Order: sequence, then C-alpha cells, then structure tokens
Amino acid sequence: MFALLRRYRELILVSVLLLVPLGVFFANARRPSERTRLDRAVVWLTTPIERAVGWTVTGALQAWSGYVGLRHAQERAVEMSREVNLLRMEKQQLLADRAEAERLRRLLSFSEQSSDRTYLGARIIGVKLGPTGLQLVTLDRGAVDGVDRMMPVVVADGVVGRVHSVSGRTADVLVLTDRNSSVAVRVERTRARANVRGLGKPDAAHLEYALRSEDMIEGDLLVTSGTDGVFPRGVPVGRVKDLQKHAHGLFYEARVTPAVDVTRLEEVLVVTAWERAAEIMPAALGPGASTP
Amino acid sequence: MKALAHVLVALALAGVQASLLRWVGGGWFSLSLLAACVVYLGLSEGNVDGSVAAAGTGYVLDLVTGSPKGLHTFLCVLLFVLVRAVSAAVDVRGRGPFALLSGLGALVLSLGALLLARFTSAPEVAPGALLVPRMLLEAAATAALAPLLQPLLRRVDLLFDREEPGLLR
Repeated sequence: MFALLRRYRELILVSVLLLVPLGVFFANARRPSERTRLDRAVVWLTTPIERAVGWTVTGALQAWSGYVGLRHAQERAVEMSREVNLLRMEKQQLLADRAEAERLRRLLSFSEQSSDRTYLGARIIGVKLGPTGLQLVTLDRGAVDGVDRMMPVVVADGVVGRVHSVSGRTADVLVLTDRNSSVAVRVERTRARANVRGLGKPDAAHLEYALRSEDMIEGDLLVTSGTDGVFPRGVPVGRVKDLQKHAHGLFYEARVTPAVDVTRLEEVLVVTAWERAAEIMPAALGPGASTP
Repeated sequence: MKALAHVLVALALAGVQASLLRWVGGGWFSLSLLAACVVYLGLSEGNVDGSVAAAGTGYVLDLVTGSPKGLHTFLCVLLFVLVRAVSAAVDVRGRGPFALLSGLGALVLSLGALLLARFTSAPEVAPGALLVPRMLLEAAATAALAPLLQPLLRRVDLLFDREEPGLLR
C-alpha cells in the first residue's frame, strides 16, 4: 500500500491539488466566501509587497513622466515667460490708452459744457517745475496753432495756468502754483472774493485778500471769478486749507490745495477765446445768472 | 522552499501588474503575468515543487482577484499539468515559445474561469462571450511581456540550485 502511494505520490499530489481546489470552488461558488485567517494573513503579507512594488513602479513611472515632461519644460518656461512679458507690456499699453481715453473724454466733456469758449487741445511735452525759476510746463502747440500769451490753460479738474511765452510750435505755461501767478477767485459756496497766488511748489498756493468778514471755511471750493481778465469764470482753482482767522488784520490766512496736480498732467486745453464781456458783467445781468 | 519563493515572486508580480495596469492603459487592457509564472513552473520545475508552487500561485491569484476560492488554484494546477504535457511532447526552448505558451496559458486561465463561472453563476450574472476579445487581448499582452519575466524567474531558480560536485572532483 505504502509502496503504491510512494510510487504514485506525484500523481496523487497533483490530483489532490486539482481536486481539492475544484471541490472548494464548487462548495463556495454560489455563496460569498469569507476570508479565513490564512487568507487574511496572506493578504496582510501581500499588501506591503504590493504597496512597495506599486510605489516603486508608480515612482518610476512618475519619474519617467516627470523627466519626459521636464525635458522641454525649460524651453516652454522661457517661451511662456516671453509671452507673459509681451502680454504685460500690452496690458500696460492698454491701460495707458484707456487712461488717456478717459482723460480725453473728460476734456471733451468739459469743453462741450461751455459752448461760449473755444478750446485748443495740447499735450505737455516738457516740465520745468524746479524750485528755482519759473514753474512752467511746455505745450506742443504754439503761435502757429493760434496760441497766444496770457491765454488760460485748463483741464476738466480746473485751472492749470496761463500761457507765459509762445514760440512757433510750442508754448510755456506758467502754472497756478508759480510765485508769479495770481488768479482772482470766488468762494463757490458764498461768492466771497479772494486771490490765489502760487508758492513756488506744485502742491500748494496761498489765499490772499480774503476778507475776514466773509463766510469761509476749510474745504471751500474756490473758482475763478473772471474779474482778472485772464481766466474765464467758474473754473475750479482749489480748496481752502489751513484757514486762520487772526484777531487783527483785514484778511484770512489760508493755504489752497490746487484743484489740478500739475505733476500728473498729460493733456490740457488752451482757452483760445471766450466771451469776456458777458462774463465780466454783473451776475444779475449776465446770461449765466442762474449758474455760478 | 523553492515553491514558496515562487509564490512570493507571484505576489510581487501581482503588485507589479496592478501598478502597471493602473498607470498604463488605466484598465483598457489587462495582463496575466501569473499565468507566465505557472507556464515557467511547468517548463522548468518538477511535478511536486511545480504543482505546489502553481497551487500557491493560484491561491494568490484567487486572493488578489477576489475570485471564488479554489477557482484559480484549480486552474493554475491544471495549467501546470497541461504545460508539463506539452513540454513532454514538444521541446520548448527560447523566449518565443515561452511567450507563446504564456499567452496560451493566460487564455486557458481566463477561458477556464469563464466557463466555470458560467457553470456556477446565476444566468443573469454569468460572464458571456463578450469577454472573449478582452481575453484575447490579455493573452496577447501577456505573451508580449512574458519574455521579460523569464530571466527573473530563472534568477529565482538559481538561488536554490546547488552546484553538483561532478564525477571528476
């Protein structure tokens, strides 16, 4: 018997290895089989192997894909950087164009509001705002374009200054804040008269001849009165600041914050003609009696 | 011991296969690298070691594929026996025949599993002939990759081969 078993042991083993699994399969095929402890142990054993192999394989694949991806990354990065720079430049250009369009639109709107005046648009091509000397800006329009001395220069925000000297194609404008500049103004709220004189620096001016008996407060808007024969009436000049009312004297002491920041200007309007006669008429008789 | 080593290699290969299929194709095709292992066992191992290792491989396959217990164990031992029969009749050497046998082995495993599952499953859930093209693709992919496995499996064998003293020593 044992000899027979020994003789056919391989055949018996193979047969057992065939039949037992088949029997197990048919026994368990129709019902969900649960994992035994041995199964769980083997799975527990296989999990780290699978994970390690998985990590290795996926790591290698990722490294490979990363390498392949990085092979052209430098070129792509340079190309994209160039493109980004171009786009940034285009964006800056577009923003500048938009800002310019906005400024021009405001200038146009301002010029259309006052039909009795004739304006000439000009670009600022030079700035001379040094502490010594005159506070000047240079326009790209001159005598050839019809610009003359003493013509007022304004923007939508207010007074810039007046034409100081003219050459054929350019003109120098003495800005409001120059020490030699003086503009007759009114307080818009109370119609009180005064004078604004420059201090020689672009961000401040001095209020002169404002009677202390007048109603005036800090922040009051000052507009041109038109009585100086240079500026048309009603153009903003600035706002009252640091108002002081001394115990003695006839006038207020105050600073004026200019309505226009001349350091940021790019385009201006030269008022080439306006109806002076009508504007210097008393308010009650003038055509603009209803508007200040 | 050698059989255990082959089972461990089968475990590792199951992990490699799962990872490969995760990253390559994403499940569009499948592989049966363990079929190539069983074919190699049938070609190079003896009846005892080979059949035990094949049963162990089938057991691993049952566990990792979630098949009913015994299905792949039986099929792997059957495949081992078939390969033994083929190798007894035909001299199988080289990578080409090994690849061919591995592909056929993969087909035998999948077709066998299909038939047995059809036999035991309810009709509405039984796998059908629609799966046959995938099985053919799996067999082809396995055949293509099998030659790469052969050196690895040989190396495992070499770990347990003792040098014979020889007659002249």
